[in-house]
Amino acid sequence: MIYSWKKIVKNSIPILTIAVFIEIFAGQILQGNQEKLLLFPIFLISIPVINGVGGNIGSILGARLASGLHVGYIELTIKDKNIQKNFLTSLLMGLITYAILGILIYYIAYFGNIQMEIDLLVFVSIVLGTGVLLILMISIISVLTAFLAFKKGLDPDDMVAPVVTTFGDTLGIVLLFLLIGVVGIW
Amino acid sequence: MFAKEMLKQSLPLLVVCGLGGILAGNTFGAMASIIRDIPGLIVVIPAVIAMRGNISTALGSRLGSAYHLGIINAENLWNKELKQNILGSLTLSLIMSTIIGFLAYVSSLILNIYPNPFQLIVIVLLAGVISGIVLMLLTIMIIYFVFKRGYDPDNITGPALATFGDVITMLCIFGSAILIGGIT
Repeated sequence: MIYSWKKIVKNSIPILTIAVFIEIFAGQILQGNQEKLLLFPIFLISIPVINGVGGNIGSILGARLASGLHVGYIELTIKDKNIQKNFLTSLLMGLITYAILGILIYYIAYFGNIQMEIDLLVFVSIVLGTGVLLILMISIISVLTAFLAFKKGLDPDDMVAPVVTTFGDTLGIVLLFLLIGVVGIW
Repeated sequence: MFAKEMLKQSLPLLVVCGLGGILAGNTFGAMASIIRDIPGLIVVIPAVIAMRGNISTALGSRLGSAYHLGIINAENLWNKELKQNILGSLTLSLIMSTIIGFLAYVSSLILNIYPNPFQLIVIVLLAGVISGIVLMLLTIMIIYFVFKRGYDPDNITGPALATFGDVITMLCIFGSAILIGGIT
């Protein structure tokens, strides 16, 4: 037998606990802004989408970098052409995905009679702005994690996804509130 | 051409996962009044969803590796190795759910919000364990069909869990909050 439940639990607890600490921090930011969020439920709907897409794009980028590093067609330097291309493609994918989903969320909320006093253009700009900033930050975190893991002799495949989704959740929520504040709708 | 191939393969999947996110978000939106009623509830939501995602995808990728190592296959799926994996995931869900409930309570106290610690921990435990069991059954079912068809489980379990995981977890939190909020 190669798997033992005790070993699975022992190996997973440290990284899961770190993730939980950071996620609770994200949760407290939500609680601090709870009343505003409940006034604009459309943002409540957007949060899982913003965070989910950000985490997925970061994980795709990380997995591609990990494979490249393993196989050897990506070099351990920021100047590597493949890394730059992957980085730009992630940003482009983020732009398209967030634009489609932002419009979709708006009309679902609109036809679902969800209370909102916000323009389509303003809403989509907030989602797009949050999304692009999030992808930028997540991509940097993803590249750094893959590099550091690879340098330390750890498998980047094990490290990138948890790190990226955890930081992505917190950053997504912080950036969303930041952009809502900048636009000044509440 | 590099970028084109990446866009073509990933973009449809991203949008589909995003649709799953919209469903999860709508559940979140529907929870507005119970979020007001139960202080601390909104704090645990990102943590429970992230924990669920981390534990389930790890299980999925371990089972994928087990398939590639030849330890499990469609004819020999329900064996000792699978049971150890299931037990490991469930134990992790129990431990991490308790930690989440406790941390949400303590961090709220620091911020001058006073949740009912017992209520909060039981809601998280119930949501964590039920979503854990549902997603585990889903993972095993997906793996079984993937084996039968001879596909690589590594390509399927991740996106499938990303699409369904958040909605299922959010519904479980909603259900537990209604149930426990109604009792206490």
